[in-house]
Amino acid sequence: MRPAGLLLALLLATPEAGPVRFPDLSGLESAVAGQLGEMQRLLATQAANAGSYGDLGQAYLAYSFNDAAVDCFQNASRLDPRNFRWLHLLGAAQQAAGRLDEAVTAFEKALTLSSPPAETAAANVHLGEIRLLQGRLDDAEAALRKAVAFPPTAAAAHSLLGQVALARRDFHAAAEHLEAALAAVPEASRLHVPLAMAYRGLGDRAKAEEHLAKAGAVGLRAPDPLLDGVASLRVGERVAVMRGRVAAQAGRYQDAAEEFRRALAVRPESVEARVNLGSVLALAGDRSGATEQLKEALRLDPGNVTAHFNLGSLLADGGVQEEARAHFEAAIVGRPDDAEARRLLAKVLRDGGQLPAALAQYRRAVELAPGDEAARLGEAETLVRMGRFAEARNRLDEALGLMPGSGLLTHAQARLLAACPERAVRDGERALELARGVWQAQPSAPHAETVALAFAEMGRCDEAAIWQRTAVDRARSESPARLGELNRALAAYDKGAPCRP
Amino acid sequence: MAENRDSKDIKDTRDFKDRKDFLSLVFLMSFMSLLFSPSTINAAPPDLFVDRAKEWGLVFTYSSGRTGEFYFPEIMGGGVALFDYDNDGDLDVFVVQGHSLAPGAAGKLGPESWGRLFRNDLITKQGRNPTPRFVDVTESSGIRASGFGMGVATGDYDNDGWMDLYIANYGSNQLWHNNGDGTFTDVTAAAGADDPRWSAGATFADLDRDGWLDLFVLNYVDSSIQKNVVCYAPNSRRDYCGPQAFPPVPSRLLRNRGNGTFEDVSIKSGIGRKAGPGLGVVADDLDGDGWPDLFVANDGSPSFLWLNQKNLTFKEDGLLAGVAVNAAGKPEAGMGIAAGDCDGDGDDDLFITHLTGETNTLYLNQGGGVFEDATARSGLGAPSLPYTGFGTAWIDFDNDGWLDLAAFNGAVNLNGAQWAKGDLFPYAQPDQLFRNISSKSGGCRFVEVGPEAGVAFRTPRVSRGAAFGDVDNDGDTDIVVVDTDSPVRLLVNETGSRRPWLGLRLVGKPAGTKGERDLLGARVEVLRKGATPLWRRAATDGSYASASDPRVLVGLGDVPDVTEVRVVWPDGVTESFPPPPLRTYTKLLRGTGKALTPPGGPK
Repeated sequence: MRPAGLLLALLLATPEAGPVRFPDLSGLESAVAGQLGEMQRLLATQAANAGSYGDLGQAYLAYSFNDAAVDCFQNASRLDPRNFRWLHLLGAAQQAAGRLDEAVTAFEKALTLSSPPAETAAANVHLGEIRLLQGRLDDAEAALRKAVAFPPTAAAAHSLLGQVALARRDFHAAAEHLEAALAAVPEASRLHVPLAMAYRGLGDRAKAEEHLAKAGAVGLRAPDPLLDGVASLRVGERVAVMRGRVAAQAGRYQDAAEEFRRALAVRPESVEARVNLGSVLALAGDRSGATEQLKEALRLDPGNVTAHFNLGSLLADGGVQEEARAHFEAAIVGRPDDAEARRLLAKVLRDGGQLPAALAQYRRAVELAPGDEAARLGEAETLVRMGRFAEARNRLDEALGLMPGSGLLTHAQARLLAACPERAVRDGERALELARGVWQAQPSAPHAETVALAFAEMGRCDEAAIWQRTAVDRARSESPARLGELNRALAAYDKGAPCRP
Repeated sequence: MAENRDSKDIKDTRDFKDRKDFLSLVFLMSFMSLLFSPSTINAAPPDLFVDRAKEWGLVFTYSSGRTGEFYFPEIMGGGVALFDYDNDGDLDVFVVQGHSLAPGAAGKLGPESWGRLFRNDLITKQGRNPTPRFVDVTESSGIRASGFGMGVATGDYDNDGWMDLYIANYGSNQLWHNNGDGTFTDVTAAAGADDPRWSAGATFADLDRDGWLDLFVLNYVDSSIQKNVVCYAPNSRRDYCGPQAFPPVPSRLLRNRGNGTFEDVSIKSGIGRKAGPGLGVVADDLDGDGWPDLFVANDGSPSFLWLNQKNLTFKEDGLLAGVAVNAAGKPEAGMGIAAGDCDGDGDDDLFITHLTGETNTLYLNQGGGVFEDATARSGLGAPSLPYTGFGTAWIDFDNDGWLDLAAFNGAVNLNGAQWAKGDLFPYAQPDQLFRNISSKSGGCRFVEVGPEAGVAFRTPRVSRGAAFGDVDNDGDTDIVVVDTDSPVRLLVNETGSRRPWLGLRLVGKPAGTKGERDLLGARVEVLRKGATPLWRRAATDGSYASASDPRVLVGLGDVPDVTEVRVVWPDGVTESFPPPPLRTYTKLLRGTGKALTPPGGPK
């Protein structure tokens, strides 16, 4: 039955209700179209009541048919004007549709009605958000101050109050609010950015940089008992896959896995859902579960490049090199310009002792991605293993010409110049210069050890010993397993010149 | 029936004492009705902008080439350039073109799939406003822009005095050398200026201050037609993918060697070491050290601020500078960029257009490379929420001395309501014009101009690139807009030239110059009696995928008493010039002003 007929029936049956702009359901996934069509039919066949409009409105909202949802909630609140729920959902739908002034009216009207504290607090958070967007900072603050008093919404309200304070350039208040929000929800890594801006405004650059280093993609949303259930109304594989991706991007791997499983329940042959499930399981640390899902995905779609790549990575990490190699090769067949796949294949080949083949893959990876430090380093390491030391040094020089700030490559070159088995390649002075630079940028046991190697190469054994002691001291906390090896070198330096072969 | 009505009329007239009274009353009533008719009470002001594209011969439609397969490039193009390629003193137009990307379609493409060049033959008659007349000269120009066009950049890369053209494509790009005789030559391979990836735009800028324009090629994502990714809208309907579905691609930086060729310094400079889905770029001195920096708006990822280290290397500092993400710490879908001094404090502020559901964002420059997200208090946030913005620029459309703002919109995700009405390309949205009201309220504040912006401005379309410039040389900023699968618009400003204005072309003769060339990046400070200085910049970049008029147009508002014009040239030298004549364009040649650079040399 087409919407026009339904609309007429609705108008006749419910004189108090306004018309609903039914969305066109063509082109939707059949499960979604079926769900919405059925709800529209049910609404048409019963006496109109607020609950029916409200249910349909929530389903529309779940699929972002925001204008249709607004129509439904308007009818629901007309038919049941004392119910907080409908006005709140109306406001939320209007907010989603970008109709901010109308949303404010709905939320303000809702807040004149009695409702549980959690719902009132959620409405105040919405109001605060909208008023902030509108630049009405005093109104935003007033609403958010009410929400901050209710513990479950306090963190979200603090984060928004922090933004209000930032907009006013009140950096002190901003820092206080954002610190409070982060203390309550430390996982909300996105908040480190506005907090950094607050500290920058206060002139504390070091603290700003410290917070920027912690910044991530996880945001903070206030709990909203009336709205939070709406998303769960969605059915169908596609929407579940999309929700899973969103959760994965936010680092919520368990939620993401749940969504991908939901997608598979609707459509077990969905390769996309299975590949995504495998990937998030791997990210969540469930290696065997991930392997199982990716293998099943490849059974369904033997050429799936992403599945091959991810499975190859998993197997390589697990030390199953031969199998990993086959998957990387398959990934490259499907995507010949994938530099990362080539680099990982090269590593597997190198670790398996197939050095010429590894070198060829590294070289291609470097061609495809000249700025890939890991590929550059892998190429040089492979050349070293092949005994082609001078070539390794030249390739590292070339890479450093392009990326003079690369700590990884600078350190590799310093090591090679300080301790290359082929004496002609060594250059203690330059090694020392490079090694000192790396140490200054990042003091660590291996970097101190490289400075020591450079001194030793120059015959300055006393200084080598001093730096080696630093390396030993640092290794006690950083890498205790290496202490024996480091101490042996220290003993050699302590014996004095010549302390290097 | 007619008889009866006439009888009644006759009867009514008999109620009046005499004919004279009757006539007086009729007159009075009709006068009253005039007074109180809707057109008198709410007399609609004339449109601020009127579309004169067809009238003036600028007839072109950008084809998305849509196939129903939802190939990503179909929803992203294209751009337009306003540049004076024939040096006759008026702005010509180049528009990129798209075409079907369906397998096998490439072999069937004809001239209708080329980007097109329109020459402006400005007709000037005494006592009347000049009238442009555009002539399609693509064939005679030699330009064969047959790639899938995305964006365009303009600049005189070989210092011969003629503006050249760089076309950014989905696929290989093209550098067209302007031969100075109305023709162009494809020098892409010889100059080493290609990039085979998906480029969304480019900008010419003298980044090492050696007198030669370097070229920054803005790259987007790695999206393949052969392995098209299938995406869906939140309601499960098939739709275009977003950038997250594809790996981002690093941009490319090409150093101008000064001999007609470029050296790829992408990795060495740092630019090529950080991939991002770039859609907008400006070269501008954003940290006030006298060297041009690069700001790149990334789509759905943190934007990049590449700070010039003065040796052709760049340090990316967007996060600490406060321009990488919005005030909530969230990356947004950056498309177009406007860089200009909206608060009159002498440094350039950034405005970025974004996706529906996100606000467009205003970053106010607090000096020294420190920016603050001022969207909330600017009045620009809430009105932009329902729209996806692309082309944009700071323009003082009413020449009141304050930079206003234009944003051209068009969705990238399907609009369900338009779909339901049978629209086969349901992505249309209205465009927006904002008036700067900072003079009244301080800071940098705006109100949206309502319907008086004009029907042509408000009618929903799928807008993308927009180029800004004074097409009819009457002293106000006009706009050329590329709308996907709709005729290109030429929005002619009907209001700005009523106020006094100053037009400046900032040129110089850098090393190896055969003629004069526009010194892109030069900054102008216009000093007036009893008013704060006005700062403007000569630039062609910004907006979305487009290139604008390099001339500087300064509206003077109610304070036309200019006392001095200072120019900070791209090499850091500052010169002072006496007040140029008003209401006309004046060329300021570097080296002919009074040097003001402090002892110790330029920054």
